[in-house]
Amino acid sequence: MRSSYAAMRKLLHAVLLGLVGAGIVHIVVLLLVPEFSERDAWSRLSMASDLYRMTRLDAEAGGAPVVKSVDPLFYATACRFDLGEGVVRIKAPGHVPFWSVSVYDRSGHNIYSFNDHTANDRVLDAVVLTPAQMIDVRKDLPEDLQGAIFVEAPIEEGIFVIRTFVPDDSWKPIVSSFLEKSSCELQDF
Amino acid sequence: MLKNALLTLLSLVIAIGGGGGSVWYALKAQDGVGAIRIGQWTAFPDIGTPAADPYSKARVAREGVLALGRAEGLSFVAERDAGGGELKRECTYTIEGGFPTARFWTLYAADQSLGVVETGKSRLAALQSYGVVRQPDNSVIISASDHPMPGNWLLTGGFGRMYFVLTFYDTPIASSTGLSDVSLPRILKVGCNA
Repeated sequence: MRSSYAAMRKLLHAVLLGLVGAGIVHIVVLLLVPEFSERDAWSRLSMASDLYRMTRLDAEAGGAPVVKSVDPLFYATACRFDLGEGVVRIKAPGHVPFWSVSVYDRSGHNIYSFNDHTANDRVLDAVVLTPAQMIDVRKDLPEDLQGAIFVEAPIEEGIFVIRTFVPDDSWKPIVSSFLEKSSCELQDF
Repeated sequence: MLKNALLTLLSLVIAIGGGGGSVWYALKAQDGVGAIRIGQWTAFPDIGTPAADPYSKARVAREGVLALGRAEGLSFVAERDAGGGELKRECTYTIEGGFPTARFWTLYAADQSLGVVETGKSRLAALQSYGVVRQPDNSVIISASDHPMPGNWLLTGGFGRMYFVLTFYDTPIASSTGLSDVSLPRILKVGCNA
């Protein structure tokens, strides 16, 4: 009798210990998922293309979408950049009904976003740089950067995404060519 | 000795299995921390920002989401109608009411992964605000159905669960103060194909 009581207590003890452990494992796993995920936006994009290369996110360009681009009435394109190598400039010529832009850090967090109402003459021309690079650029602002939007981001690696609205089928070629002509390149000073 | 080893093993199995499983379950569930509910619509204004909770962050990393920024827009997802029933692809719904201020909005019927539903037809299962007919009071009545409807018709089709995704672009409600007195359209079930 006494021995079975002791065995029960031991079993209960083990189960309780397991539950406490489960709580700890839950927290640890949760915090480690973003660190070790191989399915995050950065990893998916890096499988599809190189740094400073615009990659279409919608299925329209052929093949399955690289990153889930949610709205079916939107086209989107993205490029990865590394501010450790220099300042990045993103340009897209022409006009579309609506464009918006987001800068994400390495783990996919939205750092900064703006849309065509923010831009000069609604033309997409942006420069992404770190606060330290900003100080350098400010000292002697090049002529052709006068109209650009400066995005100060305290990051090194990041993702730049352009989203454009496709109101109906007739806009598809125009919006598509807007994204095809967009560029993402390292800027020299 | 063997009994002690077995008990240790039991503790470990509960700890690792329970801990891992509960994370997996929490990330699967559509509902989550940081959600804002307005009627049947749910939004996650903080998802994808550095201020998001750990569950949102893990979900962003696992699903490779690139969430809309505040200056871009805000998405609302509905999974139930006003009567509390789950949305079904084989049913007809009326979505009616006023829409909050935004440059424009889009509405589409989505499947479990929040991608647009495949209907096998050339018409997209999506509508946008420049292409809808409005009532005299500026409200909008949308009929979501798998057969053509008068007025604003949102094509759906197939069988199984369905979600409505309503996204407002360039909108003041995406800023944190704007969400307090927003009202969104109601989703009413009209009937189902048996």
